[in-house]
Formats: sequence, structure tokens, C-alpha cells
Amino acid sequence: MTDHPHSPNQSRRPSSGDAHSASDSQLVEVHSHLARDKEEPREGFSLLPIVVVFVFCGFGFWAGLYLTRNAAGFSSSAFDLNAPREVANDGPKAFEPDLAKGEKLYLQQCASCHQANGLGVPGAFPPLAGSPWVQGNEERIIKIALAGIAGEIEVKGNKYNGNMPNIGAGLKDAQLANIISYVRSAWGNHSDPVMDTKVAEVRKAIGSRGQYSPKEILEQHPLETK
Amino acid sequence: MSQDSYRPSFNLSRVDASVAQPVRLFFASAFLWLVLASMIAVITAIQLKDVSFLGGCSLTTYGRLKALESNLFTYGWLTNALFAINLWLMSSLTRFELKNAWLANVGGVVWNLTLTYGAYQILMGKMNGFSLLEMPKEVALASWLGFLLAALWPAVAFSRRPTGHVYVSQWYILGSTLVFPITFALTQLLVLWCPAQGVLQALVHSWYYQNLHLLWFASSAIAAVYYFIPKESGRTVAAYYLSTIGFWTFFLFASWTGPATLLGSPLPLWVQSVGVVAALLMLIPFAILAIHFLGTLSWNRGISQSWNNTTLRFVLVAIFALILWGLLFAVSSTRGFNAVIRFTAFTVGLEHLLSYTFVSFVIFGAAYFILPKITGLLWLSPKLVHLHFWSCAIATVSLLIITLGGGWQQGSGLRADWPSALFPTFLLLIGHIAFVINAWGMLCSKLSSGYKPTHA
Repeated sequence: MTDHPHSPNQSRRPSSGDAHSASDSQLVEVHSHLARDKEEPREGFSLLPIVVVFVFCGFGFWAGLYLTRNAAGFSSSAFDLNAPREVANDGPKAFEPDLAKGEKLYLQQCASCHQANGLGVPGAFPPLAGSPWVQGNEERIIKIALAGIAGEIEVKGNKYNGNMPNIGAGLKDAQLANIISYVRSAWGNHSDPVMDTKVAEVRKAIGSRGQYSPKEILEQHPLETK
Repeated sequence: MSQDSYRPSFNLSRVDASVAQPVRLFFASAFLWLVLASMIAVITAIQLKDVSFLGGCSLTTYGRLKALESNLFTYGWLTNALFAINLWLMSSLTRFELKNAWLANVGGVVWNLTLTYGAYQILMGKMNGFSLLEMPKEVALASWLGFLLAALWPAVAFSRRPTGHVYVSQWYILGSTLVFPITFALTQLLVLWCPAQGVLQALVHSWYYQNLHLLWFASSAIAAVYYFIPKESGRTVAAYYLSTIGFWTFFLFASWTGPATLLGSPLPLWVQSVGVVAALLMLIPFAILAIHFLGTLSWNRGISQSWNNTTLRFVLVAIFALILWGLLFAVSSTRGFNAVIRFTAFTVGLEHLLSYTFVSFVIFGAAYFILPKITGLLWLSPKLVHLHFWSCAIATVSLLIITLGGGWQQGSGLRADWPSALFPTFLLLIGHIAFVINAWGMLCSKLSSGYKPTHA
């Protein structure tokens, strides 16, 4: 203690202010060497500082693990540790058919044959606009999109001899549902949208199979209108 | 007190003389606020036992007095004292002679006037509902400017330092003086002036609270500990090369710990988890601080040597408090533990551990070292020093047992009764009065020239 009368080391301490400033620069000077040169290994050299550096790395590793497990995918709507799994896996909550996405996918996947205006190409590709095949019972169009269709087909009074591959098999349930919902509501069509669960159900029911023939489809799902 | 302990006043060094005026102003006002805050603390402690005590007048109801006490303690006592210590330490380490002491004085006066006005408004019941932001927002700009004028001199001193090694104390002082004004300004903006939406407001407040305690109070106090240990023990800091890691991890993780105090709140889960991770990663700087402080003092009977040195005795208690705080904060930020101690006296105990047992004890130790240097006088009465140390040490330990233990019982037993801390609070007041009599005797005796301390 600087000025405590009972201090044993009082005499060691300089009492004048200028001497203390000098010892401040000594203090800095001595530590500048310590910062540059680490202690040489000697007897009694402590391994502790080196060990703790490894422990710190372990801490960092743990921090990463903890964050990935307890952050609920960094979602802004998950609040409770006990319920993150439900919230996180709910993902896209209830499926809402998105016609804008459906249109975008239609233009990528379907428009090369059926055309952007849904009228098809006379003599080659049948139209979708106003077509009874795509409206009414949704399972018919889902099956055609999933498995494809080949053979002579009559659409709106015109005959086509087409070969449509199983384009839908490569799309996700939600994507296909969006496309079909779009097709069933665009160009004057007005049928109900299709849910992704329905697509999943049909996909499971038909399994892996070859293209339908128009006859087979019509046996299962006859056209509601001509 | 023996006669041979008396020495006539010695001349101040040029560096000390240049900062003496503002340092004395900061210390004198800090001591005033300390005594006031401890008196109010006794009243609020009585009110926790007997609700009707002084309850007849709205001025002296618990809600106002409690807010007043915590504001006076943090902005009056801790902040003023750290102004003084940071300024003195930095100018000593950089051999900086302060030319514009009057500017620092103006800063100190402005800071204390705004605090007085804020305290008056709190007493009148005009306060904000955020802990330690209770003072009305109109004074914020003035107190911010006051802070800049009073606290930024260490940064000026640092920019004019002689080239060479920058000692670790200087890093912590520079960090704390630069971080606090930024934090304060942003928090005033986002919490009071143009409030952020919803939970973001609480998040910003928790960020402020942790920055205030860790990056302003604790960081400044750590700087002082780094100075006094080698200075007073004559040893070099053990494993000094780790200090860079310690410094950067401390400043990196400390301001992320805010959400750890808001676990279970409607903050997004990932924000809370980031807080938990930051609180546990704070163990890295705390481990380094423990290696530095205890490692330096532990070998070759260093602890008992420090025990015989007034400054180091206070600092020693403070070091154990700091390490204990780091451990307890990490443990209490784990989700299971936090669910028990949330909203209990345990959190009060944690805050006391940091802001009192660590920071205030460092300030006491530093004051015992610095005041003789800047007044050229000796402490009047060693008996008062002993009274101060022992009453504060006993009080703070019993307060910690009461709040931490009582808080744990509250949480695990779901009990509503708040543990009473009247006895230790009263003991703290006694210790502080002993300290302040001694210190003011020193500060005043210089003013009335010719006065020499007399001995019983």
C-alpha cells in the first residue's frame, strides 16, 4: 500500500512523482519484450497457456454446433427452444397455389409445345385453352402431366397424333400443382386450383409407369364436357 | 497511527500536476455520489422489509428511490471515478501532459449537472421505463457532450504517446472510452428518440446494459488491474503474450451477451442462442484475465504480499469477483439454469458482483494509489482504511450470499419473497463514509494551504 504505515514494501516504492513516471516507462518497456518474445521453456514453465488455447478452439467448435442446433434455421418466427422443430419443418406453411409461379414454370416447361397463349400448334400440339382435358376432374391432367400421353387424341374437335413425355415426373409436387392451377385458370379456363397434396397422392397412386394412351385416360376419367 | 508514517507533502510530477485538477474534481464528485447512493440504498433496503417506510410521500416511494440509487451509483460514482482513473492512468503511461485541463473540468461539471437534473426528474417521477436509461431524454445530448469532454482525454493522450510498445492497460482504456459514447448515442436514438419497433427496443436496451457494464465499467477497471499488479508487486504479467487474444475476444463477445439476459423472451430463437454462445465464449477472455492476474500474483507468496498492500488488497478481492462473475454469468446463461434464476435476486447479485465487488473495489484500490500522487499528501487515517476495507468486504460477501443464494431459492422454490439485504447495505454505508472522510480530508487539505494532517 502506497502510504500505509504497516506496509512491508513501502521503502521499495518511490515516493516522488517523477520517479514513478520513470518506473511507468520501465513497466511498458519490460512488457514490450514479453509481448514480442514468448517465455523460453524452462524448469517450471507452465503448459497452461498453451493448453487453454486448445480449449478455446474447442469452445469455438462447440459454439458453432450450439448455434446450428438451437437457432431454428435462423428463422425470425421461431421463439421457443421446445417448439423449433415444428416451426422449422412447417416450412411453407399451408400450400397456396401460386399462379405467378405457375405461369413462370409453364413458360419454361410447357410453352415450347402448347405455346404461351395455350393454343398449341394446329396439327401438332393440342390446345390447352378451353380444352375439356385440362378442366373438370383434376386427376386426369395430373396423370397426363406425370406420366405423359401418347396416341391419337381428339381435342376440341381436332385430332392430334402426339407424344407427350412425362415432364411432370421431374417436377416437385408444389411446382406441378402451381403449373396445373395456372393452366386451369388461364386463357378463359376456370376450374379449381390443384393442391400439392393431390399431386403427391396421384404420383403415389400411379407409381412408376409408362405413358398413358388417351383411351386409358378416358376410361378412368371421362371428359365432363366435349 | 504512528508518528513516523507522517511525511510532509512532496512535489507532484509534471504529468500528475497537469491532470491533478480534473482528476480531483472527478474523484470528489464521485465520492459525493457514492455516499448519496449508499444512503438511498439503505432506505430502499428498509422499504423492501417494511413497505410503508417513507411511503407517505410520493418523492420517497420505492420505485423512484431505487431508480435514483442505481443511476447515482452508475453515472455518479462509477463513471466519475473511472473518468479520473482512466485519465490519470493513460497520461502516466504515455507521459502525457494535459494542456487543456479546464476543458476536462467543464466536461465533468456538465456531466454532473446533467446527472443532478436527471436525478431531480427521477424524483419527480418523470422517468423512462428502461433500467439505467430512466433519466429524461432531454438531458441526453448534454450528458453525451459532457462525457466526451470529460472522458476522451485518454484518447488524446494515446494519440500523442511516445512511439513504442502499447501496454495492455492502454488498449482497454482506449476501447472503453471510445465504445461508450457510441453505445450511448445509438441507444438514446433507438430506445428513446425514435424507438425501434417491438422487441428490438428491448434488444437494444440489453445491448446498452451489457456494453455499459462490460465495455465501459469492467474494461476500464481491467485496465487499472493490469496497471496496479505489475506496478505494486514488481512482477511482470504472466503469459503476457495472451493479452492480445484476451483483449479482442473481450471486446468482440461482450456486446453480444445482451440477449443472454433476455432468454425466454419473444426474441427470435437464434438471437437468444447467439447471446448464450457469446456469454459462454466470454470464458475465453476471462480465462486469460485469470491467468494474467492470478498467475502473476500466485507464485512466490505473491498473494500474501499483495494482502499487505492497500491497493493490491482491494484489487485482489476484485480479481476474484471478476473471475467468479465470468463463471456465474456463463453458467446462468445456459438455458436450464437461466430458467430458474430469471427474474430473481440472483440477477441482482450478479450485477452487484460486477459493478461493486469488481469495479468499485478496483476504484477503491486505485484511489488509494492515485490520490496521494495528485495531492502530494498521505492518507489521513490508516484506521479508516481498515474500517473501509473490512466493512465493505464483509458487506459485499454477505450481500452476494444473500442475493445469489436467496435468488436461487426464489427460483427453484418459486417463492415470491425477496431476500432482505438491510444489514450489508448499512455496512456498505459505514465503509463508504469511512473512505470518503479519509479521501475528502485529503482533497480539502490541499485547498486550504498550510494545513497539515494531524495525528491522534
